[in-house]
Amino acid sequence: MNIAVADQQIKRANRLKATKLNNRMVTDYWDDLFKAKEEGRLVCWYEGVAINPILQAADIAWCHGEAMSALLAARNEEGPAQEAAEEFGYDRELCSYARTHIGCGVLTQNSTPESVSDLPRDSEVRKGLAARVPAPDMIISAYPFCSTGQQWDDMLYRQFGKKVPIFNISLPWIWGNKPSAKYMSGPEYREAVAFLVQQLRECITFIEGITGKKFDHDRLREIMGYIKRAAEIKVEAMRLCKAKPSPASFFEWTNSIAPVNFLPGGPDIVNYFEIKKAEIQERVDNGVGSAPVEKYRLFWDGIMNWNKIGWLADKFAGYDSCIVAGRYTHMGFWHETEVIDLDDPLDGMAQNYLTCPISISAPQMVDKIVEHCEYYELDGLILHGARTCRAFSYPQFLIAEGVGKRLGLPVAMFEGDMVDESFYKDELVNSRVEAMLEQIEARRARSM
Amino acid sequence: MHPALGVLAEAARRPNDHARRWKAKTGRKVVGSFPMHFPAEVVHASGAMPVVLQESDDPITVGGAGMYPFFCGYTRSVVDQASKGDFDYVDAIMFGDHCVQILSAADIVRNRLPETQVGFYQLIPSLRDKWSLENSMRALDRLIEGIEETLGVTITEDDLRASIREFNENRQLIRRLYELRRTGAIRLRASHMQHIVKSSMVMDKAEHNALLRQIVDSVEPGADTLGGGLPVYVSGHLCQAPKPAVLDMIEDCGAVIVDDDLYHGYRYISMDMDETGDPVKAIANWYLNRNFGAPCPTRLDPGIDWDGWLLKAVDACGAKGMIVLMAKFCEPHYFYYPRIRKAFQVADVPHLLIETEHEMLGLENMRTKVETFVEVARRRGTPQRIAS
Ligand code: SF4
Ligand code: SF4
Repeated sequence: MNIAVADQQIKRANRLKATKLNNRMVTDYWDDLFKAKEEGRLVCWYEGVAINPILQAADIAWCHGEAMSALLAARNEEGPAQEAAEEFGYDRELCSYARTHIGCGVLTQNSTPESVSDLPRDSEVRKGLAARVPAPDMIISAYPFCSTGQQWDDMLYRQFGKKVPIFNISLPWIWGNKPSAKYMSGPEYREAVAFLVQQLRECITFIEGITGKKFDHDRLREIMGYIKRAAEIKVEAMRLCKAKPSPASFFEWTNSIAPVNFLPGGPDIVNYFEIKKAEIQERVDNGVGSAPVEKYRLFWDGIMNWNKIGWLADKFAGYDSCIVAGRYTHMGFWHETEVIDLDDPLDGMAQNYLTCPISISAPQMVDKIVEHCEYYELDGLILHGARTCRAFSYPQFLIAEGVGKRLGLPVAMFEGDMVDESFYKDELVNSRVEAMLEQIEARRARSM
Repeated sequence: MHPALGVLAEAARRPNDHARRWKAKTGRKVVGSFPMHFPAEVVHASGAMPVVLQESDDPITVGGAGMYPFFCGYTRSVVDQASKGDFDYVDAIMFGDHCVQILSAADIVRNRLPETQVGFYQLIPSLRDKWSLENSMRALDRLIEGIEETLGVTITEDDLRASIREFNENRQLIRRLYELRRTGAIRLRASHMQHIVKSSMVMDKAEHNALLRQIVDSVEPGADTLGGGLPVYVSGHLCQAPKPAVLDMIEDCGAVIVDDDLYHGYRYISMDMDETGDPVKAIANWYLNRNFGAPCPTRLDPGIDWDGWLLKAVDACGAKGMIVLMAKFCEPHYFYYPRIRKAFQVADVPHLLIETEHEMLGLENMRTKVETFVEVARRRGTPQRIAS
């Protein structure tokens, strides 16, 4: 059997209409953020876990570093920020999200004149989207597992001349020393949750110190109510993709990360997922798939390649395959809604942060991936080793072995990156994917 | 070479063999750990020998099927050694460090050594928060419980205090050697210093202390032994020891390495622990204050600037310039280096960056760079003094 490359170039994935609504909400969010300073609002920069509900409850505008970097890449505007970071001396092998966002920091430093001497002042790179991000009035660092995230914030703090107050939340990594350590249970886990809740409370005190206002816990409960509901509908909609052909793909879910990652918690995000779920249900009822022809159902492991979302969606559709689920999309972003107690949301928020796709170590991670592969009846795994995101890429050999051993699924492993296109080699991706599809075919032939 | 130094060099060159032999000879247990901040005193207090697992010189073979090539040499090598069975002598691995690459390697090592308990007791990376001390003490309590449970022993406060004393003595003896080198009273090549520090990470402390005492006692007050070499400071190379050949090459180019902040160097022995009072608190404070001894880019410490600290350190030891050794893919170092470069440019202190790889390529190319650097720094004379 030969999987022809030529075939895969002529088919296009069926986009969900709801994606347009998502894109509009995202654009509105950024436009609103770019105006924050003019409107006298405080701005917080943060990376990692979604602490935005806390900021929203305190009327603080927020800029999520990864979201900013992803936005730039998705709009092909990452160049100026990356060049600014490179000019400052940051190596290309450093996390490209961090480099891009620190580059934004370099470009937006106009508002902190004391540290502007570091910048390429008259350079062309000052122009464009990256330079429009308002400079921070505070930085909150809350990165799960990956030390690079914390260092990224530390570098921003230094970049802004240590003038912007920073609050560090240290997230414990869920390792599991004892047999009692299970996914979301056991004394070690509870101790980690308690420590994180303690820090979130301190973070609220820090915010109160900056705003000079008492924190509105009722508002936080209300916001978390919307987020919880939106996330529940998201998960229900995802589960509908058990249908064959799958009505939506991993790429559609990456397109839906913003509403459960950094958009304001409110009726809009609930409405969005209701519309999306209804559209998916309609596809299920009519037997419409995300891929025009679905011969192979796949899992995507690794962070997204933001420069190439639409292109990759078509590429896989061209292989008559649908990537149905992924670690990035299906194992994070308020994925454990049932533990969010709206009377006292901090504990549930902490639990969601601590079980995000990089915060649990490999044994629990592999178990979860196996569950997804079984539920969605998948045939193989794509392992996208993001070169500058070691946090996401390190467990992939263990995933390949673990899932391979338990379910016998073949894998295609290749290097790429989240926002630095130069690490992606298309010919290599083609040959790895084609080899995997051939293995799937061989497996099917054997079982007939 | 002093015979004691020969023993240390041998242990440093072949740490796994040394620890394996020690175990066979004594019948005692060995606990491995990952760099760079693990308080090995706690393992020592249990009666087992703590060993900091080292990068090996061997090319990465089997481990290549467990880890992408874009990880630092230390982590790739550790995974490779675990995959090949080189850590067969280790009864357990305990660690508390935080760099994403160490954690990644640890998860793979745990998978490769299913029969070995690999325990993680995360030491809070943010050193100056209100809860940093309390959290560090909690992590240490859990570590002690973990060791007791895994090795079936009990660790008392007195055991901990005795280990702290023994480790402090070791650090003080090595610092004494550093002082003697700085003043020129003893001629030890930088690679010899590395053997001394590295062997301390993998040897029984009492034995190491005895050998160090022999070396210190053998020093005769003498003339300046710099021999006209250009005094330089070496910074960087975190978890992995620079290859001795690189240090030798630098010193063969007319430089003398008079001081450093290498992990396999001064960083390892820069701070002592309090020998009185609550030992767990003493260890926690040692950990939280380590940045005062040598700033670590893997920790968050808003008050400390590695760049400014390095300028002062270079000035204090009379070096005429600094060579930065950077291990390829070491992200914590990549993050900080631009600030270091800038600080040295602004202060007009000569400095040179050398990026190293596990596979040790391009020594000749490095030599050309170092020769040029030495020439330039020599012509420049005394660098501008740094305002303190
Ligand atoms: S390396 Fe990956 S996980 Fe770490 S900060 Fe960068 S994007 Fe986040
Ligand atoms: S600190 Fe550097 S050398 Fe150490 S594990 Fe991390 S990347 Fe490797």
